[in-house]
Amino acid sequence: MLTTPSNLASNRAPLSQLAFDARGSSRGRVAEKHTLVCVFLRGGADTLNMWVPFAEEAYYKQRPSLAIPRPGSTTNSAIQLTEHYALHPAMRPLEAAFKEGRLGAVQAVGTDNTSGSHFECQDQMEHGDSAEGVQAGGGWLGRFLRVRDKERSPLSAVAIGTALPESLRGAPSVSVIERIGDIALRAPKGDPEAITAALSALYGADITLLGEYGRETLSLFRRVSELQATPYSPESGASYGKDKFSSGLSEIARLIKARVGLEVACLDLGGWDTHFFQGTAEGSQAQRIKALAEGLAAFDADLMEHRSSYTVMVTTEFGRRVYENASLGTDHGRGFTFAALGNKVRGGRVLGAWPFNVMDENNPLEPGGIMPETDFRNLFAEVLRGTHALTDAETAQIFPNLALSRVGLMG
Amino acid sequence: MKISRRELLKTTALCGIASAFPGCGRLADDFLGEGIPETCIPSSDSEISPGFHLLCRAGFGPRPGDLERLQALGNEAWVEAQLAPESINDTACELRAERFESLQFSPGDAYEFRKPVLRDELTRHALLRAVYSRRQLLEVMVEFWTDHLNIDLEKGDCVYLKPSDDREVVRKHALGNFHDMIRASATSPAMLVYLDGKANKVRRNSKDRPNENYARELMELHTMGVHNGYTQQDVVEAARCLSGWTFDPKRTFALNQNESFFRPEWHDDGPKVVLGETIASGGGPADLDALVRIVCSHPSTAHFIATKLCRHFVSQTPPAPLVERVSAEFSRTTGDIKSLLRVILKSEEFYASRGQLLKRPFKFMVSALRATAANTEAKNDILEPLHRMGHGLFQYPTPDGYPETELPWMGTLLWRWNFALALAGNRQPGAQVQFPELLKALGGKGKSPSPAIWFAHCIGRAPSLSETEALALLPSAMGAQNSHKGAEPGEILGLILASPAFQRC
Repeated sequence: MLTTPSNLASNRAPLSQLAFDARGSSRGRVAEKHTLVCVFLRGGADTLNMWVPFAEEAYYKQRPSLAIPRPGSTTNSAIQLTEHYALHPAMRPLEAAFKEGRLGAVQAVGTDNTSGSHFECQDQMEHGDSAEGVQAGGGWLGRFLRVRDKERSPLSAVAIGTALPESLRGAPSVSVIERIGDIALRAPKGDPEAITAALSALYGADITLLGEYGRETLSLFRRVSELQATPYSPESGASYGKDKFSSGLSEIARLIKARVGLEVACLDLGGWDTHFFQGTAEGSQAQRIKALAEGLAAFDADLMEHRSSYTVMVTTEFGRRVYENASLGTDHGRGFTFAALGNKVRGGRVLGAWPFNVMDENNPLEPGGIMPETDFRNLFAEVLRGTHALTDAETAQIFPNLALSRVGLMG
Repeated sequence: MKISRRELLKTTALCGIASAFPGCGRLADDFLGEGIPETCIPSSDSEISPGFHLLCRAGFGPRPGDLERLQALGNEAWVEAQLAPESINDTACELRAERFESLQFSPGDAYEFRKPVLRDELTRHALLRAVYSRRQLLEVMVEFWTDHLNIDLEKGDCVYLKPSDDREVVRKHALGNFHDMIRASATSPAMLVYLDGKANKVRRNSKDRPNENYARELMELHTMGVHNGYTQQDVVEAARCLSGWTFDPKRTFALNQNESFFRPEWHDDGPKVVLGETIASGGGPADLDALVRIVCSHPSTAHFIATKLCRHFVSQTPPAPLVERVSAEFSRTTGDIKSLLRVILKSEEFYASRGQLLKRPFKFMVSALRATAANTEAKNDILEPLHRMGHGLFQYPTPDGYPETELPWMGTLLWRWNFALALAGNRQPGAQVQFPELLKALGGKGKSPSPAIWFAHCIGRAPSLSETEALALLPSAMGAQNSHKGAEPGEILGLILASPAFQRC
């Protein structure tokens, strides 16, 4: 399957004479690492219609047109999970994982940011900061990877897409890719080795951030050439959709199986800013939910044989108001439902209360909706403790100024 | 600018003639100044020349011959000419870019076209203008405001409505008055759809709540900036001012079917207080004018726009005194964009910042096409690498527009290198470098240009010692020094376009 390390090293001999920063060169087989997959729902997802609080009268009162019908009330009603919660019908592919206790959720999670701004709340969340006090610098995953900087694989962090997510800012190395097979340098006629050597020299002499990323990119070529040899076929009958989100997940699954030392993988699913005609059991939001649920279910099936190797977390920058607006959508709110999937999750439960006061909906100072009772940082910290056995001291380095408290989502 | 159908047909016909007869096309090139001059003499200074810098920042980088033309005119006169784009003959570019019929229609009439046609023509038009227009500063500002008032073609009906927004909001006001641009944007059908303003209604005796989406972004992104002096209550009040403005392409028999319009029965006509200023009840559609005046005149807006312009033209960390001067000019001129650019482009800070900004992928690509005088019709095959680099035109989903900061673009080097190597190797579909003319202009008769000449042509200065050493690692660099045999200009050019120096400007 893989090119043997010695082979690879000898192929690249001419380059090593121009060795720049040898940080990225891992010749030996990397031990299997646990991979945290961070899915960010961009736009402020209306999680109230994903994890439906069907026992709450207020939910149906505030959403006369948009609420998901109570379990069993119609053919396309919510799927009951607990006494209080049900899933949106498009979440059905994930129902089994919940019943197996591998999928869990926490209600009323959020930031302390009251601006109602997508960009500010996403930034704050990805940076793992509070709106008050001093910012820790860099992204929360970047800080995590720095704290645990031992035997680092060059492919320790991968972002699927074209832009570096803020959460990975400051990470020792990040590879931003759309698919594994993309990564190759296509030199014009002549010697590709010579072009690579010349680029190494040019970027090696550049002391700015650009130089650093140039060197990272060059080492990425070497790292990934190993994986390109074979076409990918998912296992356990898993079938990925053709959408970007699903194909991104399949690339992550491939990297997990290849044991390249992947510790963090980030990918986004957009289209959640549903101010306008968001729909109910069907409609525009249902399409996004379907993409999310089908993608994650395929990923989970594909990795049936590697189930102790990964945890998926699903977050968004804020939830939405409980009430529907006059254009049959929902406006920006505060608290949302956080979810995690994996063997290390104490799932089968929806934790957290229902901190909703109808008066909050008209607060002139900040967006209403359900109030965030659980600081998102406590959940992010708990996920890292669960996936990577993070100590309290390490947690304090990643989230300074955080009053740690257990939520109970991770085993 | 509206072009009549007759003029359009004339232009299309001319264009057809030019491409049907290669000789004639060549003639047009020479006549219209699009060709490659007989000789180009790149700078051999160790620092980027001020003229080259101006062409890179106030434009998309020089085409062969641009530097010589700028030097003949002088930097200040060049800036003044660019600030009066109508004074610059741009026929050559218009022959290429004005043939796209779908871009000439009113918002309602654009529904006659299929989505792929609209998307294709709008995108090709933007790329062709950036590559070929001699009104370079106008095109730079069009890119700037396109991000500032970002609209994603893929949301709702935006693909039908963005062409008129591009024409009537962005291009019309790009070098005009900021207040006028915001006023035009507020009722632009594309913006009414993109930020849900068209559904912002507060009917009398109903429990309707205003849709806050546009009102918030108006303050946060278009004018004042987040945390710069407005509250959630101001957002709600602004949304009330805006309620009733809508767009409906299905109103077939109405006079204003093609444009946005005001529905009094959807408007909250009570009194409002925005940023401490009271807007009396009964203002109707005039509430919008009052709102635009209030937010655009707020000191935060002057500062926010000044900072953003200085970031774009000068530095990621713009010098505070320059920002202050630009901000003061904004207030003094009530948002005259030309005046702001004059302050920036004539400042010492501007010239002191040579080579310090990272080109975003679009600028990287356009500057490479310009430096090599590559021929392109901007069809899909050349737009594909732009998507790879995460910079597809009119494709940014959220209203903040493509980032101006460097870090989000750092992951794009792989694709930049591959584009550079493909273009220089004449393997990039959709673009052809005219090597014979380029070699002749740079190297002289029968001589290949040295790697140092290539470098100076693309970067605006002589290569440093380490850059010279890196260039010498290519076998074809040796070939170029010894004889023409073995010389592979594409390899040298490709490496230079992929180098750190060409990623900056």
